[in-house]
Amino acid sequence: MALVQVDGLTFAYPAGPQALRGVSLRIERGEVVLLLGNSGSGKTTLLRALGGLVPHFHGGRFEGRVEIDGRDTRTSRPADLAGTVAMLFQDPEEQVVLTRVSREVAFGLENMGTPPQQILPRALSALAAVGAAQLADRPVSELSGGELQRVCLASALALEPQLLLLDEPTSQLDPDSAEELLERATELGSTVVLSEQRPERVLAAATRVLFFEAGRVLLDAPVDRARAWLDEHRPAWSTEPRLVTQRDEGTGTLLCRLRDVAYAYRPGEPVLEAFDLELRRGEIVALAGPNGSGKTTIAKLAAGLLEPTAGHVERMGRAALLLQDPGRYVVRDRAVDEVALGVGGDLVRARRALADVGLAGKESRHPRDLSSGERERLALASVLVTEPDLLVLDEPTRGVDPERKRRLAASLRADASRRATLVVTHDDVFATSVADRIVHLEKGSDPEGLTLTQAAARG
Amino acid sequence: MRTAPALALLAAAVAASLLARHTLSVAAIALLLFLLCLRAPRRRRWPYLVGTGVSAVALFVVTPFVETLGSHPLWTGPILPVIGQLDVTHEELASALFQACRLAAVGLAFAAYALLLDHDRLLAAAGFARRSVLVVALATRLVPTLERDAAGLVDSLRGRGVEVEGARRRAALLSPLLAGSLERGLNLAEAMEARGYGRAGRTRVPPPPWRLVDRLALVGAAALTALGVLWL
Repeated sequence: MALVQVDGLTFAYPAGPQALRGVSLRIERGEVVLLLGNSGSGKTTLLRALGGLVPHFHGGRFEGRVEIDGRDTRTSRPADLAGTVAMLFQDPEEQVVLTRVSREVAFGLENMGTPPQQILPRALSALAAVGAAQLADRPVSELSGGELQRVCLASALALEPQLLLLDEPTSQLDPDSAEELLERATELGSTVVLSEQRPERVLAAATRVLFFEAGRVLLDAPVDRARAWLDEHRPAWSTEPRLVTQRDEGTGTLLCRLRDVAYAYRPGEPVLEAFDLELRRGEIVALAGPNGSGKTTIAKLAAGLLEPTAGHVERMGRAALLLQDPGRYVVRDRAVDEVALGVGGDLVRARRALADVGLAGKESRHPRDLSSGERERLALASVLVTEPDLLVLDEPTRGVDPERKRRLAASLRADASRRATLVVTHDDVFATSVADRIVHLEKGSDPEGLTLTQAAARG
Repeated sequence: MRTAPALALLAAAVAASLLARHTLSVAAIALLLFLLCLRAPRRRRWPYLVGTGVSAVALFVVTPFVETLGSHPLWTGPILPVIGQLDVTHEELASALFQACRLAAVGLAFAAYALLLDHDRLLAAAGFARRSVLVVALATRLVPTLERDAAGLVDSLRGRGVEVEGARRRAALLSPLLAGSLERGLNLAEAMEARGYGRAGRTRVPPPPWRLVDRLALVGAAALTALGVLWL
């Protein structure tokens, strides 16, 4: 018997369009299935359906049948499926219940009715399995995004599930950490179904690929065939490395200079020391490096949100910063008012900025009613409307599908001459497709230097 | 120390500060609790300490004007409609100081609870009313989460060149903060359901064994309450 059997699954959220249309598939034990597709194509909804959350938690119109290990999800609640199924959600911050790491990992085991004497040993063992044993006694509020993602994976693995569902598990991780995390997730023998926006990270670990479009399965194939199909039919999803050529360093007007800059959030624990960077009009600089290497700190220093503890930051012009996860930080009730906030309520400029990011016609919508992708574009419009001389973007491609990444890169390139742009990113493909040069930071040390690696392939 | 005896000690401190009749006694309890709160990291403790301090000072300032007590006026003001004669007496000042110390002691005890106790252990120790204790634990976690969200909102606005200064602009952030926390609550509920919360037959991590210090803490809590009733 297959572990997962989906027959004719069609689903619509309450008051929403159909998110899945006639999906049928069968997943055998031990498979590692990668779900690809643009935002809103149905990947997360399928994961929720496999975990029973659709329809039990979300409501909506559900047709067809989903069976997990022979149990029909229409008659089994998600809490009853827990243990057989474990799920890791997109945003680790929004799935943490308790305050200490070891207790957080033990939470699911307690719910399962695990014998008391086995709970902590299993929790600690799961933490060790994801390389997070040293975090066991730490408060979750003090963990970085990457550490939190490991803890959440440990919480899922501690249940020793037959089916592990991972919704963009590497979105907050640098490439090395992402590779390691995926290795840990797949080596324990569970059947794994995961969605990703950066296929290059996952294809090597997967055995099968499903490509979704508008709620339908467009492709269901082994990895080799899927690679060929992606190259031919969805080149934005192609994982072939882009052509990299050298380009002269920026020669435009100097707009921002960080000289010998240091910063520490706590005394004696510097996250940045003796850091130098110059940003000139017309150039796009990508800032890459592992989690905790100080990229976001540099972004905030460059934009003027932080003052260095040593050294100097000079800005010649107006700076604007788009933070990570910008869709969370909306303050107004209408999209147009949200954008107009940065330009003293100028609705004309705000409407134009919304149109520039493809949100024309959505001016009066409440920002929280927009989809996650639309919220991100709204946030981008809110920053671009100020027409900054220095634009700083912190992880602008997190959770963004390759099609939209390509459009964002094209848009940044098209307007590059208007300003200097600093992009903080873990996304190598995006960095090489948009940046004139990439600055690689090493954790706890100086940057490697201004490595000039112009990524071409800009059409 | 186990969480339950530590909580008993804090509860006893609150009880003693409410039962005590001497300002010095209550002030001493508040001072002890303040020193205890200093053990928490600076960036986490300041909202609790500032909140408690501001509330206590406000109570001290307002009390003499709304209370009518004593016959030794230090200052006599105008007669206001409804309120009547405004004056401040020596006795009113003493009473205001006493009430302010009480409020400070209660506020600091809550701060110590929120900052220093392991809420996970408290939850694990709750043999009954686990749902209520979980709600309290989540509500306690809400404070630092809201603090982080507020900082994110302010940074997001500053990133667009909008400075958030003044009480009015800061107050305008309350609505988006609330909306954000409701959204977060929904996501958390979904995650909890997926992790089996609400399933029958739940077990719990065995609590650590009672040690001498735990027993002493319980005795100390009882003694502190008795002291509050009899001598303080």
